[in-house]
Amino acid sequence: MGSKRGRSVIAATSIFLAMSCLNSISTTQVGTSMLDSDTFCISDQYIMQSYFTTQSSLNESEFRHLHKECSENIPYEDVPAVATLQHRDVTGEGSHRHLLTTIKLRSFHLQSHLHELVIVERLPLGVFADPFELQSLQQRRAFRDVSVFGDTDLEQPSFRSNRSVVEIHVEINGNGETSVKLPLHARYQPIGESGYSRVEFGEPDLFLCSRHVPNQEHEQRRCLVLSVGRSKTQTRSVVWEIPAGIRSHTEYVSVVTFVAALLSAFSILVASLLSSKVESCKNTKEL
Amino acid sequence: MSRGSEKPDESPKWMSFRTLLVSSMLLRVFLIIYGEWQDSHMEVRYTDIDYTVFSDAASLMASGESPYKRTTYRYSPLLALLLVPNSIFHRSWGKFIFSASDLLVGLFIREILKLRKVSEKVCTVSVMVWLLNPFTFTIGTRGNCEPIVCAMILWIILSLMKGNLSQAAFWYGLVVHFRVYPIIYALPIILVLDSKLFRSGQKPPLEDWNTLTSSTEKKTFRLKSLFSRERIMFGLISGGVFLACNAVSFYFYGHEFLHEALLYHLTRTDPRHNFSIYFYHIYLHYERQFSAVEKLISFLPQFTVQLALVFSFSKDLVFCMFLQTVAFVAFNKVITAQYFVWFYCLLPLILPWSRMKLKWEGLLCIILWIGAQTHWLLWGYMLEFKGVNVFLQLWMASLVFLAANTFVLVKIIQRHRFSPLFGQYVSSDGKNVKKLD
Repeated sequence: MGSKRGRSVIAATSIFLAMSCLNSISTTQVGTSMLDSDTFCISDQYIMQSYFTTQSSLNESEFRHLHKECSENIPYEDVPAVATLQHRDVTGEGSHRHLLTTIKLRSFHLQSHLHELVIVERLPLGVFADPFELQSLQQRRAFRDVSVFGDTDLEQPSFRSNRSVVEIHVEINGNGETSVKLPLHARYQPIGESGYSRVEFGEPDLFLCSRHVPNQEHEQRRCLVLSVGRSKTQTRSVVWEIPAGIRSHTEYVSVVTFVAALLSAFSILVASLLSSKVESCKNTKEL
Repeated sequence: MSRGSEKPDESPKWMSFRTLLVSSMLLRVFLIIYGEWQDSHMEVRYTDIDYTVFSDAASLMASGESPYKRTTYRYSPLLALLLVPNSIFHRSWGKFIFSASDLLVGLFIREILKLRKVSEKVCTVSVMVWLLNPFTFTIGTRGNCEPIVCAMILWIILSLMKGNLSQAAFWYGLVVHFRVYPIIYALPIILVLDSKLFRSGQKPPLEDWNTLTSSTEKKTFRLKSLFSRERIMFGLISGGVFLACNAVSFYFYGHEFLHEALLYHLTRTDPRHNFSIYFYHIYLHYERQFSAVEKLISFLPQFTVQLALVFSFSKDLVFCMFLQTVAFVAFNKVITAQYFVWFYCLLPLILPWSRMKLKWEGLLCIILWIGAQTHWLLWGYMLEFKGVNVFLQLWMASLVFLAANTFVLVKIIQRHRFSPLFGQYVSSDGKNVKKLD
């Protein structure tokens, strides 16, 4: 009897432990999702447009409160809110690269009437997206819709600029796998010791929305917040190493710059004075 | 260029000025059309990004809004006004205007040289230095507005040479409003308006190319002559035009105009890499502001060189303007390739007076100057397109570029045959004017 009870206790404990493990695994798999299984409605063309009507900064905790109540005529669909991040990388070389993201959706997503995948990239401080470049990509139909919010000053170094957000709308593919290539540019980084600045990309926020109908007033679109899970191959974080000035160079660069300018100015000064002296000597000889 | 050996007024059989002008025009039209094709079919655009900025600003202006709503539009509203037809007729309208200005510069170069009786052959070769320079014909066809500024500067020189003081002053006020840098020419122009050399309303006597002796008399400084009628008139008219243009722009566009079109250019310190020797120094100090003393020290070499050049060469006005422009660009806090066109348009005007032969001194100068740029561009490529930290090497390459600029400038000074623009008036009442030979 005792051993039977003992085995039951062990079994119950094992099940309990297994369930806890499963919970913790699923929590780590969820990544940086903001809301679990939540739908909301927006009346603007962009989700971030709705966000910035009530918020003025990209505060992480405030990002949760962007959802609005949907009116009754918007159909509700009970669709599981999970997508997998198949691939995420920064490709290219130098100051101009692409952020490549591949997202896999499930088949039930394709059967719902939510056909537009919305990717909200909150860009780290050291990089920016050029709104004019993105507009021309949109004209070439790389995206259905794209917009940049926040700080779009293309010339400021990163320690003087604020964060920016890119919202991309793409039509989801028949096979459920959607790839997005976002062109990004490096800002001038704060000076450091190593000569490189490490810019790390977090995960995008994903939504599945119904299609935007242009020119329709008071249109409400339903959006589903997707939880982002990573595939087995996508475990490392995405990092971009950008060259930065080296602090220890400061003094001698300043000194040598000014000495060079002075030497150069002196050479031109001497040449000018000698030349005008030669000319005036010639004139006095000829007079 | 040597003057003695060739027969006067004989153009080379292979190239008359008319042929040169027509072929330059056809080349530019072809490049504009090609540019449209490349923009729509290739990843890398032919058109300069600045042209897109001007066009966007112009279409904003056409719809009644401020052109300064377009980020990075940092020019006079006049430029946007000029490009309003971009949104009405065709987006290439502006490129045609800029290329036409570019051809106009060629015409003005010829007219200026002809007024000083330069031989036809030397004239044509000088014009070719501008019209057939690859940098020149790409800059206008890619949509850069600098040819307009060059045309205005040359028109000012022409007006002075013909004795049209008011006209010169008007265009000078306008060009300084348009692009701030021509302010550096204020002092030499004022100095050259000596009442012994220039009388308003009369065609001043010009020193010909053939004149072997310089007719300058010993300089005696008189305070009274500093405020001559001509100088005061020039100052008042150009100052008035400059203020009027700024006032009208301010009336329509307010503080945005002041900040973007004027103050930005005066206070610009761009930490991003460019040809200037100061870029790395500015970047390393960008997190803290520069003190007034530091700003003054960095301005000192520029200021000293400008003063030295003006006081040494102001009588040879065009040569002085050329040297000042090269030095101004070389010592500036920011140097971009489009600034080079500011002195490219003045180079053909000084070549006939240079004793420098193409072989081998001329070629050496060209190779050194272009070589130093290419060297810089290679390091720039490593930084920008390969992502390697080569800031130090890039900065050293800008030091080498400054050295090349200095060398070329000194060589040009040494080989120049000093020739004042205006000759002496013989009689004191100015009515009977004789040119000295």
